[in-house]
Order: sequence, then C-alpha cells, then structure tokens
Amino acid sequence: MQRKGAQREGILQQLADMGGASTAAVAQVAKQTGVPEADVWGAGLFYGLLRRDPQNTLVCNGLSCRIQGAEQLRHQLTEQGVATQSVACLGLCDVAPAAVGPALLPLPACDQPAHVLPNNPDLPINLGGERDRSYRGLGAALKLGADAVIAELQAAGLQGRGGAGFPAHLKWRSVRNQTDPTRYVVCNADEGEPGTFKDREVIRRQPDKLLEGLAIAAHVVQATEIYIYLRGEFERERRILQSAIDDACHGPLAGLQFHIVRGQGAYVCGEETALLESLEGRRGMPRLKPPFPTERGFRNKPTLIHNVETLACVPDIALRGGVRFASLGRREPGAKLYCISGHVQRPGVYELPLGVSLDELVACAGGYVGTPQAFSPGGASSGFLPMSERSRPLDFASLGQVGAMLGSAGAVVLNDTADLVLAVHWQLSFFEHESCGQCAPCRLGSRWVRQALDRYLASGDPGELSDVLDVAWEMNEGSICGLGQVASLPLTSAMQHFPEQFGRRPVTQEHHHG
Amino acid sequence: MAETLTIHIDGRTLVAQSGETVLQVAKRNHIAIPTLCHDERLDAAGCCRACLVEIDGQRRLQPACNWPVSKELRVQTSSPRVQRHRATLLGLYVADHRLDSDGLPVHTTQGNDLRSLAQGIEFKRLLSIDSPRHPRGVDANPYIAYDPDLCILCARCTRYCDEVEAVSAISLAWRGAETSIATAGDRGLLDTSCELCGGCVDVCPTGAMHAKQAPRFEKPEAVQKVRTTCNFCGVGCQLDLNVQEGKIIQVTAPPPGETVNDGNLCVKGRFAYGFVHHDDRLRTPKIRGADGELHDATWDEALHYAAKGLLGVRDRHGPHALGFVSSSRCTNEENYLVQKLARAVFQTNNVHQCAAT
Ligand SMILES: Cc1cc2nc3c(=O)[nH]c(=O)nc-3n(C[C@H](O)[C@H](O)[C@H](O)COP(=O)(O)O)c2cc1C
Ligand code: SF4
Repeated sequence: MQRKGAQREGILQQLADMGGASTAAVAQVAKQTGVPEADVWGAGLFYGLLRRDPQNTLVCNGLSCRIQGAEQLRHQLTEQGVATQSVACLGLCDVAPAAVGPALLPLPACDQPAHVLPNNPDLPINLGGERDRSYRGLGAALKLGADAVIAELQAAGLQGRGGAGFPAHLKWRSVRNQTDPTRYVVCNADEGEPGTFKDREVIRRQPDKLLEGLAIAAHVVQATEIYIYLRGEFERERRILQSAIDDACHGPLAGLQFHIVRGQGAYVCGEETALLESLEGRRGMPRLKPPFPTERGFRNKPTLIHNVETLACVPDIALRGGVRFASLGRREPGAKLYCISGHVQRPGVYELPLGVSLDELVACAGGYVGTPQAFSPGGASSGFLPMSERSRPLDFASLGQVGAMLGSAGAVVLNDTADLVLAVHWQLSFFEHESCGQCAPCRLGSRWVRQALDRYLASGDPGELSDVLDVAWEMNEGSICGLGQVASLPLTSAMQHFPEQFGRRPVTQEHHHG
Repeated sequence: MAETLTIHIDGRTLVAQSGETVLQVAKRNHIAIPTLCHDERLDAAGCCRACLVEIDGQRRLQPACNWPVSKELRVQTSSPRVQRHRATLLGLYVADHRLDSDGLPVHTTQGNDLRSLAQGIEFKRLLSIDSPRHPRGVDANPYIAYDPDLCILCARCTRYCDEVEAVSAISLAWRGAETSIATAGDRGLLDTSCELCGGCVDVCPTGAMHAKQAPRFEKPEAVQKVRTTCNFCGVGCQLDLNVQEGKIIQVTAPPPGETVNDGNLCVKGRFAYGFVHHDDRLRTPKIRGADGELHDATWDEALHYAAKGLLGVRDRHGPHALGFVSSSRCTNEENYLVQKLARAVFQTNNVHQCAAT
C-alpha cells in the first residue's frame, strides 16, 4: 500500500549514500521518507551493493573471469592486504579476471579499453568511430513525425536487443496509443547477463547515440521524463552519461528531463518489470504480466522500456531509413553488437551483421585460444552448445531452433582446458544467487538443481542427475520471469550436447566433502 | 458497469462478470484449483504458482488468481500439462518442508494447506533441499512467533500486514532461497509498528506464523471450533474458540467473507483469552461485608444491594448526584439499556460511555 506522502522512490539511493542497508541507515531513511521501516529494510537487503562492505574490493566470480584466473586474483589481492569479496558478475568479461575497487571503478589491471571494430561510418552504432554528437538522427526524426518514425522502425525490423527480441515498433505504437497522457521512457542499462558488456561499451564510446535514441522515443510516445536505470557497478559510465546529458540538455535535448538511477546489485532488475519495481524503491521482484509496461509501467503509467543498444540503433534508422538498417543483417534484419569473451584472442564487442556465426565472430576477435570445446552463444541464460554448432547463425530464430537463444549476444568460448561440468556449476550458482525468490519453481528449483550437481560432483554418480530434467521442466513452465524459466538451461543443454561429460566422474578432493 | 459474459472452463460453459478472475468463476462453480498465496482480501500476487492453468492463446501457463475473464475465454484446469506442473511444483515445496514420518508436510494445529494438497495429489518425490531461511533473532513478544522452516514464502502475512492492517511491521527480506520474513533490523515485534493483531497467524497457510500460547502440532481433528462473539468491545467480531478437552487452546478468526470482522481480529480478541480458565477469575458476584472482606453472593442479592445503594444516593442527594458510565465492552443494546436506566428510572442525564471520549 502506498502511504500518502511517502517518498519511496529515492530510498535505495539514500541507503547507498549512507553506506548500505545498516539498521541505523534504514531507520533514518524510513523516518525521512515516511516509508515503513520494515519495507526499507526488506528492500535494502535485496540488493548486493547495499549489503556489501563498502571497504571491499569486488572480485568477479563469473564464468569468463573464473576461467581466466579469478581465484588467483583474489588470492593475490588478499596477500597484498586488500579486503576483497567475490561477486557474481561485474560486466567486465573482456578484461577478465576483473575486479573493481570500493568506489566501483575497475582496478588498473583490468582497465583497458575494449576491443571493437575500427571506424566504419556504415555501421549504425560504430563503436570504433569518433564520438558522434551531431544529433542528426533526432533532427531527421522530428522532420519525419511520429508515425513515420514508427514506420521506419517497422521497416528496420528492429528487435529488442535486451534479450527477448520483441519488435520495437509494436511497443512504440502501443505506448503512443494509450489514452493516459502521462507516459515514461525508460532505458534498461542494467546490463547484468554474464558474458555481456556491449551496453557498457555504447555508453563509453557513443553515449550521445543512446541519448538521441531516447529523445526520439520520448518525442514519438509523447513523454518528457526519461529514466536511465544504470547498473550500479558502471560508475565510470554514469559519469560519462551524465556529462553527455549536461552537454546537450540546453541544446538538442531541451525540454526533456533525464534521470539516471543507479541499480544496486541485482541481476534480476534487468528484467523490465523488476526494474520498474526497483525504480519505485522496492524489492526487484518481477510483476505479473499482463498488464505490460506499455499499458501500466512506471508509476502505473504507460512506459516504453528499451535496452541501450536498441535505443542506440534508432538515430541511424531515423537518419538513413529502416530499409537500409534491415539490409545490414543476414536472415534477420540489422547489425548487432556481439560480445565475445572466454578463450579467444581479443575479447571485445563487435558490430556485425545479425546472423554471423561463432567462427566469424571469433575471427574478428583474433581467433580461438587453444582447442574450443563448447560455447555459450548469448549469455549465461543461453546454455552451452557444442562446437558442431560453430557455423550456425547467431540470430534469434536459428538459436531458438536448438533450444538456445541469442539473448543479449554475450558469447563465451570454453576451450578444452575448462571443466565443462564445473562451468555449468558456476552458471547454476549464478542464477540461484540472483533469483529474486518470489516464486517457488525458481527459488527452490534453482537451488535443487545446483545441489543435485553438488551431489554428482561429490559422488561421481550420474544417478544424482536423474530428476534434473523434471525440475528444469517445471522451472521453465512455472516460473514468473525469464530468470527462472532458463535458470537450469546451462545444465540441461550441457547434458544434452555433451552426454559423455556427465557419466561416472572421478571424485576430486575439492568436491568430496562439498 | 460489469458486463455478463460466458467463459469455458474444462469444457463447461459458465457465466461470469467482467472484472472477475478465472479463479473466482471456477470457485463459484466448484471447480477445484489449488492455491497457497491467495486471499480474497489481498491483491493477487500469483507467486505460489499453484493455481497455474492453461489459457487458450497463451504460450505460458497463467495464474488463475490474476487472469481476468474475457468473452469466450477457454481455460483448462487439469490438462496433463497442468497436472505435471502441479505434481512437480508440489514436489519442490515438499522437498523444502518439514515432513512427518509418512513423508508428508507436518500437520499443525492451524492446519497446513501444503499437507492437504500433498494428500490429494500424486506429487513428484525429490530429495530434500537444503535451503535454510535467513535466521531470525530472539523475539520477546508473548503472542506471535515465526518458524522459518515451515514458511513457503507466499507472503500472505506481509501483504496482509500492509494491505489490510496498513501496519507494515514485517516484510520479505533477503533474496533467492535465503528469502525470509523479517522485521526491520530483525527486532522483536514489540519494538516495531506491530499491533500484535495476529492476522499474520491467521493468513499463514502452513502454520509457520503461529500463536506462541497455542500448542503447535495438535491434530486438527482433536480441536473443536466454537463460534462466539468477542466480549471485549461492542463491534461484535466473531471468534472461533479452538477448544480441546474443554479448554480454549487458541482463538482464530472465522474465514473472511463470513462475518462482520471479515477474518480480522485485534490483539484482545485473538490473544486475551487467558482469563477464561484463570484461577483468579470471578465466578460469582461478591458483596463486601462489614468485616471488610468480599463474600460470595447470588445475582439477586448483588443486584438488590447495588440498587439499594443507588436509590440511597438519589434519596439523600437528588438524581443528579448519580452518574452512569457504561463499559466499552458493552454492546449497543446494553448501552441503550444503561441510558434508559439513567434517564427513565433515575431521572438523570448523567450518562456516558467510556469509549466515547
Ligand atoms: C532475468 C532477466 C534479466 C534481464 N536483463 C536485462 C538487461 O540486463 N538488460 C536489458 O536490456 N534487458 C534485460 N532483460 C530483458 C528485459 O526484460 C526487457 O525485455 C528489455 O529491457 C526490453 O528492451 P528491448 O526491447 O530493447 O530488448 C532481462 C530479462 C530477464 C528475464
Ligand atoms: S523466476 Fe525467479 S527471479 Fe523470476 S520472479 Fe520467479 S523467483 Fe523471481
């Protein structure tokens, strides 16, 4: 129940400013805002960054970092007397093993610029080009008018780049057609899918294209307030974005209000309705859909939510037309930012035709390191595929056909030095840790499946995995949001494609008592 | 205005009103759909997933508790897919619960909806899950306790505390499998905004939230429910005395929708029944004798004695020397009689009710 006059929206940032969700901070925030103290406490404890010790250096524990020596890094730091804490993911897979200091800035060792393609003005986002502050796409969009912009989006065939691949023009039209005159535009910059760091790179290199896309969206759906929900660990990116806003707010962005809201360390808040809950100062628990955000979203008003990359494609579509954008793809329309990390020479973000194969992507990244054995095509939630799929187009439909998905296009390659079963274990642990906990199939299923794998690792007996498929089926059928629905895919896909790795297994000392 | 329409559940054509949910229509027509997190008084949470059904045109199973009816909507509540879902979901819940020697969720004095479901459905047996909830500190309040091992995180208690009582003393806290029901700072309830109404105990489907004074694991069959009216105030809330061998072991609210209090009670109605069986309870009227001590009397003697005293004051000092104050525990009818006694019998307007200030 919303208390009259209670100022809920700012509570998470206030807790962050006070060093986290301590009992004293919670009491004070409750008093200042009128939000019940238990609600502030419950919301605060949901978020990793509000529970961390603010003195600690955070060492990434994600798959790409583990295979590049995250544990050794943590060990080294500890020996140097640095207080560390391991975290599920930092969005720095290209510079693995990654760590950020207490102020959430990357440690010098993992603070190199990411690899991208060289300048190529034909590319819609063109990460390798000069920073484009022209706002010419916005000018073009204003000339075209709202309906024509939507028609261009449709011609472009732009599918959401946040993971679900939903056609953008349908959402724009839906929000535009709502009867409620108050609308919001929200940018999903919570980028948290392990293996994914493309939105980070857009903000670092072409932040104005994102702002331009947001401005076009706001004009089309008649919104004046824009919220950017930015992953909390992206502190440098926040500064870049804020200064880009400051630079343009009296020029091309005049009349629009931009708000950057920091995420506080919960992967699930990348799910759009959990994101809205979090923006409203609550626990990031996904809402039931329908109603969809386009009808009732932020503050219960029609809301257009898009991923950073989706929005950053919009200026080019407005400027050079949807048909041209569409022609950049192969079987599906458009160009796409692919992230690649793991056992490859030059991990990075490469803007390529939608539908390139893994081999083509890895060729951009300078080739494989060692002999590849498996890859994850689109982030942790896309599961694992065998190298026999290396020439399959990395697009929404083609990956869907093999039970994987393009997701956020964060590909990770494992070579034969990696233990696939352990890699699966890490991915399962990630989802278990990040489950919001509201629905039983995900809350209990993700733990059950991980514990079944623990038992298998401890005993070597494949019989321990016999009920996994049933539980995974239920997680997919019964979970509220995408997290739970795919949380066991790393295991089920690996069992399907690599049955030989899930036979009787020698018991290692490490897991014997685990 | 609500529009009348028809929908089809499991092939039956049923009349519904726009604005209703699939669950409401199903219930009215005695089509059983299991629920755990549902309570008519609360907004649908859809989080327990027990009520998922197949809806024509929807790729995913959808919660009946939150799905609005629409013209000619087609719903399957017991297709093989729904049944497999229920059996596996229940298997997960059971694997996370405290079980009795038959491998079923333990019964509690308050009942256990999970147990009832497990008794009615052939569920998938799974090895137990190790998922201790985040622990809770010591809580000195005398009435309400939380047993995290029995909690299924349906959040009925926190939503009730917020949406019905507007108290918000408890909240979901932590995340994932560690999620728990917490107070701010894990303090005892006495140090929170809690009013100890005990509604969280009543809405809990599994007996995780329970009354400290009551025995926890009595067989529900051994307990008889006696409906009565609360005598603490004039509102007239209905109570169910839970009686075992002639003794009240707990007071519960009748189900919502049945009585004026709609399933709610206050701390007195729910927890202050200790006087009933207390040794010090007065069982007869008493009159103070010349020796200064109280002595047992009959009602006739006591009433005569009181009347004589009141009449004496009136005769000596006039009617306005008397004043009548009725107790907040009186009903409307009793209050009416008190003012009638004052005005008609003793001829004074000095009459008041202690709850009126
Ligand atoms: C568990 C989960 C995590 C997600 N994380 C992100 C994310 O980090 N960034 C993002 O843009 N979309 C994420 N999404 C997808 C969003 O829910 C939503 O589809 C997207 O923001 C819509 O934007 P788009 O149409 O531009 O893709 C996530 C979805 C789920 C289920
Ligand atoms: S699937 Fe998992 S993350 Fe999503 S709502 Fe359910 S518990 Fe939360």
